Amino acid sequence: MEKQSYKSYKFRQKSVPYLFLAPNLIIFATFIIFPAFIGIYYSFTDMTLFTFGVPEYIGLENYRNLLQDEDFLAAFKNIVLLVVATVPIIFTTSLLIALLLVQPIKGKNFWRAMFYWPVMISPIVVGIIWQWILAGNFGLFNTTIRSLGFESIETLINPRFAWWSVVFAKTWSRAGYFMIIFMAALLSIPTSLYEAAKVDGANRFQRFWNITYPALKPARLMVFILLTMEIFKIYPLVVTLTGGGPFEATEFTVQYIYETAFQSYQIGYSSAMSVIMLLFVTLFTGLNFFLQKGGSDS
Amino acid sequence: MKRSNIVLYIIAIILTLIFLLPVLYIIGSSFKPMNELFSAVPTFFPRKFTFDNYVKAIERGNFLIYILNSFIVAITSTIIAVLINTMSGYALAKFRFKGDTIIVIVILSTIMLPLEVIMVPIFSVLRAFGLYDTLWALIVPAAATPTGIFLMRQYLMTIPDEIIQSARIDGASEWRIFISIIIPNAKPAIATLAIFSFMWRWNDYIWPLIAISSPNKYTMQLAIANFTGEFGADYSSILAMSAISMIPMLIVFIIFQKQFVQGTASSGMKG
Repeated sequence: MEKQSYKSYKFRQKSVPYLFLAPNLIIFATFIIFPAFIGIYYSFTDMTLFTFGVPEYIGLENYRNLLQDEDFLAAFKNIVLLVVATVPIIFTTSLLIALLLVQPIKGKNFWRAMFYWPVMISPIVVGIIWQWILAGNFGLFNTTIRSLGFESIETLINPRFAWWSVVFAKTWSRAGYFMIIFMAALLSIPTSLYEAAKVDGANRFQRFWNITYPALKPARLMVFILLTMEIFKIYPLVVTLTGGGPFEATEFTVQYIYETAFQSYQIGYSSAMSVIMLLFVTLFTGLNFFLQKGGSDS
Repeated sequence: MKRSNIVLYIIAIILTLIFLLPVLYIIGSSFKPMNELFSAVPTFFPRKFTFDNYVKAIERGNFLIYILNSFIVAITSTIIAVLINTMSGYALAKFRFKGDTIIVIVILSTIMLPLEVIMVPIFSVLRAFGLYDTLWALIVPAAATPTGIFLMRQYLMTIPDEIIQSARIDGASEWRIFISIIIPNAKPAIATLAIFSFMWRWNDYIWPLIAISSPNKYTMQLAIANFTGEFGADYSSILAMSAISMIPMLIVFIIFQKQFVQGTASSGMKG
């Protein structure tokens, strides 16, 4: 009797962590991992939104078609360019703001709150805000430009302007978030390092380059990876800011995948796009991780 | 020294204006009467103050329902998120068991599978489970977050093992230990998780986009986005809706600023 109850107690102990983990793991399995595998399966079929039953296996045909799909290639090129442009801009902006806020200025909490607060606004509303300011001849933007004595310019109807508006609005709404990460890292650098460098006669720039920048390595890597993944999946902001236009100038992969699936109903084909995108994001962040982690210094 | 300080303040003020003015302009515009909204010379603040846009947005249809839906989703999902992520964080922080490394890897791998990339198969899964076009589809799946688990795990590791052990010796069940020792001790981390979870759900667009089709189940973000895309979008009510959708987050932010900053900073320190 006693032995049995001991055993069941032990069993309960052993199963406890699994039971505590169960709700999360069931949700992950059902709504993330399982769908990911179905997505891979779909990508080898001719599935449409109206396919009931088993779709036909068509091998690599979707992938072959993708390579000739100019619209997809354009959207893909567009997102790569956006990542290449936006990641360094947000990275630098947030680092500079963080550096500003660790200087001896008064009212730090107030400034920090001001710079962080756009992070709280949904991307849909961020799109509305900048659309309302930038669009048209009589928006605040063009009115201001005219009042300064310049001619009004084409804003969101100009492909290049629209594209850079996406970069700008994204930077505006996300710089505060990465600023906080950089600030935490900056504040954890021991001040004795700076004092020693000052004694040695290092100037401001030398101190930044030889102490601050190397010490920020983990934070830099973190910000870089988070940012890259975030920009790759940009979509909601674009919905209200430009709608993907003009002339698909701001149409990026997620929007193209969404439209292929839910407006052209080509589930199999859009799944192939998702797989390609996933591989690309993983490769991109993974590569970066290894390049930076494997770097020479500490 | 003095001069460089003044420069710092000037930069800080300019940045504040860049981050603040656009928001004030939108909120101000939402109180402008129609003729001022589409005037050839817009002013920054409304000359004549009116609630017309708000009244119209509410009359226009189901705007109150969208607000209600957003609150239902954000609050319910946050409660579930706090419960299940704290449970998982506790298991990973305080138990050694077979397969714990694999489970951590699985949880980490879900970070690499963003919703935006697997939305098509998720749509199929939701349909298969009968969750499609229900608010549950917005509440349950999104409650499980890797970020939440790791946040809780990190915090719970700081709770001394002795407290848990002595409760076990006293014969408390594992669930009882969780409820009466772990949860009260994890309050700061729970507050952070709850605030972030509320913000994620309140501001989310992708889940509602995939999972909802009936207009009476729209959340605010989905409603705003869909009305913008409509032909001849009526900007007066869209501005009012946008302003309203910012208000709860603004209040949450003013009250819980410290938690936001700590939560963001700790996610950055993990690397």
